[in-house]
Amino acid sequence: MGFLDNSGDIILDAVLTDHGRKLLAKGDGSFQISKFALADDEINYTLYNATHASGSAYYDVEILQTPVLEAFTDNAGSVKSKLISYGSMNLLYLPVVKINQLNSSTKMHTSGAFIVAVDAETEGTADNVTTYSVGYNAGQPVPGVIFGSSLAGDNRIRLDQGVDSSEISPKERLDPDLIEDSYIIQIDNRLGKIATINGDMVPEDYIDDDNIAYYTVDVGLVSQITDESAGLSEAIAGPRGTRLEFKIAASIDLNTSTFLFSQLGGTSTLEGKAVKHIDSIVRVTGMKTGYSVDVPVRFAKSTIS
Amino acid sequence: MSQFVSQNQQFHREKIMAESFYKSLDIGKDVANTRTLLHEAIPLTGTIVSGTYSDNNIKNYAHGMFQSVYDYPYLSSSANHIFDLTVGVSAQSGLYSSVTSQKSKKLNIYNQMAQVLAGYDHTGSIQRFDQDGNILAGGAKLDNVFFMNFSRLLIKDEIKKGTFELELGVNSDYDQAGVVFTRRIKLTDLSGSNGYLVNSPVGEYGVLYATQSFGTNAVLAANQYYAVGLLFYQAGVAVISGSVFHDAAKGGILHTTNTDSTRLLSTSGYHGLDIVTGSTNEVIADSLRNRIYNVQFNNTVELNSSVYFCRINHNEYNYSTNPTYLSGSKIRVKTQSSDLPVSYITSVGLYNDNNELLATAKLSEPLKKSSDTEFTIRVRLDY
Repeated sequence: MGFLDNSGDIILDAVLTDHGRKLLAKGDGSFQISKFALADDEINYTLYNATHASGSAYYDVEILQTPVLEAFTDNAGSVKSKLISYGSMNLLYLPVVKINQLNSSTKMHTSGAFIVAVDAETEGTADNVTTYSVGYNAGQPVPGVIFGSSLAGDNRIRLDQGVDSSEISPKERLDPDLIEDSYIIQIDNRLGKIATINGDMVPEDYIDDDNIAYYTVDVGLVSQITDESAGLSEAIAGPRGTRLEFKIAASIDLNTSTFLFSQLGGTSTLEGKAVKHIDSIVRVTGMKTGYSVDVPVRFAKSTIS
Repeated sequence: MSQFVSQNQQFHREKIMAESFYKSLDIGKDVANTRTLLHEAIPLTGTIVSGTYSDNNIKNYAHGMFQSVYDYPYLSSSANHIFDLTVGVSAQSGLYSSVTSQKSKKLNIYNQMAQVLAGYDHTGSIQRFDQDGNILAGGAKLDNVFFMNFSRLLIKDEIKKGTFELELGVNSDYDQAGVVFTRRIKLTDLSGSNGYLVNSPVGEYGVLYATQSFGTNAVLAANQYYAVGLLFYQAGVAVISGSVFHDAAKGGILHTTNTDSTRLLSTSGYHGLDIVTGSTNEVIADSLRNRIYNVQFNNTVELNSSVYFCRINHNEYNYSTNPTYLSGSKIRVKTQSSDLPVSYITSVGLYNDNNELLATAKLSEPLKKSSDTEFTIRVRLDY
């Protein structure tokens, strides 16, 4: 007669994150663990094979063989794709967040990223295209180039939220509990800051030890998508939630100095002009659904200075 | 389509959790604090402290107050400090008036160590080290002593009681080729595991007792345990009486005929700890170091842990925000809405009220979570 398995609960050893150590060192009571979350960062759900010939017990056999990495101490790189609880077990579709590039002012640059021109020389002006400016072409703003110094112009980043499936009509209403009314934006604070499309600066919530600034944005940057048509300007095929629109302001360091460009970036040609650049990402995460999108951003500075 | 509409209707009935990623921990029910003692064995062979590295692991200082011993040549970044050696002479010692070299330094060292380890009497005077720790009863004092101050790296929180062993070569001849170790004594905190003293201002201490450990003839004056020092467990300091190198005729513990007082310095006519009168701390530390055959003890680390019970109910965490979880907006692990949602747990994050990630833990393999399973994951955070 064999013994019963008495392994009981699952016991894990936790490591403090760098931010956790920082708060612990501060000793002001901010290191107070009060909640937990679960994540599946290593899991690739495309390995789920619902047509496996051997039956449903084998659908996830490849997923279950996924090796799991040791814990990172970098708080920004850990527990990224969280598990989420919904009251219903019958959900088949979940809303996503997509970059809307269907308008000229919200398009990504042809280089494959949103370009942030970090100073006036790099931006240029409509009536004076200099040897160094990349913001205008034949008197017209170049799509995908955001004026990070003046915050002028219409170019911006737009993300739409909703169920992106043509199986469901966009006229269907998304449940209010699945509509994002606020988002978290993460950006490298050394490089840029978040601004409204009118050019007003948005205050950050906090900046972590890795210089990542966290912004929680809602009214002023987030608005309801009211277009229920299958129009060409909508990125979401099915029921729609909200849109998030914002600009990126260049940091003072990038505006006035080439130090970070030398340290973190490289040189390239943009719109036929030589520029220094730094590639980064801006992460946008829905507060309710947790769906996140990484927006590629290139900070560019003309080589005039 | 109708399926989607029915989902919406269901959502109106079932309120989605306000914070559907984070689950609050009930401090009273979901958090437990534990204390664990861990022990490591620390063996230090004598060749490390004298010979292996041609004394390149020995650091002497211009101030001449003590000598530091490393486990590797100390100019290397790989070197770890393992202990310091020095010598102290009390003003009440019979040898004190004869001391001609670094007299004040030896007195200052003694007083400094005594005031920290033995404390003060009711008049505010520094107490001398007592041979058996029974200060009120008076008795013999340790006035000429060696100090071995072990590094915090080795002792961690404290030396485990009853595990300390220091083996010294006491052959009377001075020799660097091993002759000093043909007669040896072993100092142990014999009573440490079941009896120790607490009348020190720096915690607990035990008495070090000497016995013969090697030698064809009698090494000790009598076949008995001699109290020859004190071991302060939390401070990590061994106080060793100079009597371990004296024969009985000079008030020590060694056998008079077979051992004689140990000649600590070849170039000197001194016997035993008489060396303190005319030699510097550095020379005396060298002499003691060359007599160390072996040191070993177990250290203790007091590990305080918080255990967080992360309770995951059947209806929680069955969906994922993983970008690969959806194809378009459709959940990959379901083919129809009535299929049970499935997710796979690989990580647990611990957060504060501001949703700042303070600690992470990883599972060894993905853990399948669906609405027909529940788990309690215990996450332990050590401090």
